[in-house]
Amino acid sequence: MSWTGMARTVIVCAILIVLHYTLRPLLAWRASVDFLIVALLLGAVRMRPGMGALYGFALGLLAGSLDVGGFGAAALGMSLIGFGASWLKAVFFADNLALNGFFLFIAKWLFDLIFLLVGHRAHGAELAMQLFVWSPLSAAVTAVAGVIALSILRPLMEMRTA
Amino acid sequence: MANAARLGNRVDVGLLAGCVVLSLIMVVLKDEDREPIASGLRRSLVAPLVGLQRGAERWRNAWVSSEQYQTTIDSLSLRGANAQAMRSENDQLRKLVGLGSRLEWGFVPAEALHSTAQSEELVTTITLTAGSTAGVKRYSPVVAPEGIVGMIQTADPSMSIAILYTHPDFHASAMSADGAAFGIIYPHSAGVTRGDAYMLEMRGVPTKVTLKPGAAIYTAGLGGVFPRGITIGNVVQELKTSEVWTRTYLVRPAVTPSRINTVLILNAQRVTQGTGNVWGGAAVNADSATRRIAAAGDSIARQAAALEAQARAAVLDSVRRATIDSVRRSLGAFIPQTDTSRATARPTRDSLRPPPDTAKKRP
Repeated sequence: MSWTGMARTVIVCAILIVLHYTLRPLLAWRASVDFLIVALLLGAVRMRPGMGALYGFALGLLAGSLDVGGFGAAALGMSLIGFGASWLKAVFFADNLALNGFFLFIAKWLFDLIFLLVGHRAHGAELAMQLFVWSPLSAAVTAVAGVIALSILRPLMEMRTA
Repeated sequence: MANAARLGNRVDVGLLAGCVVLSLIMVVLKDEDREPIASGLRRSLVAPLVGLQRGAERWRNAWVSSEQYQTTIDSLSLRGANAQAMRSENDQLRKLVGLGSRLEWGFVPAEALHSTAQSEELVTTITLTAGSTAGVKRYSPVVAPEGIVGMIQTADPSMSIAILYTHPDFHASAMSADGAAFGIIYPHSAGVTRGDAYMLEMRGVPTKVTLKPGAAIYTAGLGGVFPRGITIGNVVQELKTSEVWTRTYLVRPAVTPSRINTVLILNAQRVTQGTGNVWGGAAVNADSATRRIAAAGDSIARQAAALEAQARAAVLDSVRRATIDSVRRSLGAFIPQTDTSRATARPTRDSLRPPPDTAKKRP
């Protein structure tokens, strides 16, 4: 990846991170959009899997620092997601918004699964409710928001460079 | 090349393993051990993001607060409107209580239930919560503190239906406050526009009588349905009709049908005996009294004039007879006492004394 491409990727990821801390609290939806996952996937597919894992780890620390109870769990989840996204970059680079949305959905749901299970955030019925109701909803919203963000930021990202 | 790729893969896996191990270490750390790390991040790298999040939450709170303020304002506005409605109802009830205390007897209070049919542009009937068990009969007058409302058309045991003055079947004898003009009140037949939908017409007013705009119109008490002196409304203007010998006036009713909530139904005895000065009838009665006083004054004046003329004629007669007597006396002729005044003033001897025969016959 060229320096220009890296700079563009950094800018887009920064925009998404800022949106995560501005638009998300403003909307305050019960099933909220996770712009960090979108930023993670957009960045990780342009890195080697190891760097993707490191990027995910950094983002996880960022997210976990504001939620002490999930500190570590978020880092673990995002590390795995970042590594997997980078490993599957060939698939993710496909110029298909629906496929990108599907991967965003899977990534978010997987992240929630790891976060909830490792972080011991919920138990029993509450955990099931969170995993099978709220997490899919949040994943779907995140996928939609990610697809919209990809559509808007496509000129900036120039994803079809390969 | 293959070695480089294998090395790269090992590095990737090593990085992943390192991240996973570090993450798991942070997970298993105690809260007091994790907090310094998280706090350090919050104060350094994450501080700008925390500021952004705080700003966003403030915006959110401001938005929610504004919605709450708006809800509060709406609630207060609604309460204000309700208070206004309650005040209006309170005023009406006060007036009704005042009317009841003035009437004292011979009425049944009832609540008016309006029809909610939206298709009716003109309200012509209302349902009342008093029926025949309370003494309500057909054609009983329905009145409000402001004046006439209508009359009972159907009286069931517990409720009744009254036609308003807007009903085509409604009519009542009416008169002006001074009693100079009489006519019949009908619903305004041309009242198709919304502005004069509830107006009345006073028909059959003699042509020689002119009513000015604003003149009060009362029931005349003719016909036996409505007692005399209930306020109907005020004259607005004269209507142009084809009638030659009578006039028709547009009358604005004193009662607004939509504001009727509680009414009084007068019973038959009260209708027969009248309502007195309840509806500003003082004006009607004062006018009647004035007319009666004026009539009495005219009568006295006529009697005085008659007496004066009679006295004058008597004097002239006396003078004429005295002159004739003096002329005759000067001529030496016999003068009989034929003065009319003396003749009428003096009793005759026969009238004072009984006849000699009848006196003697007494024991």
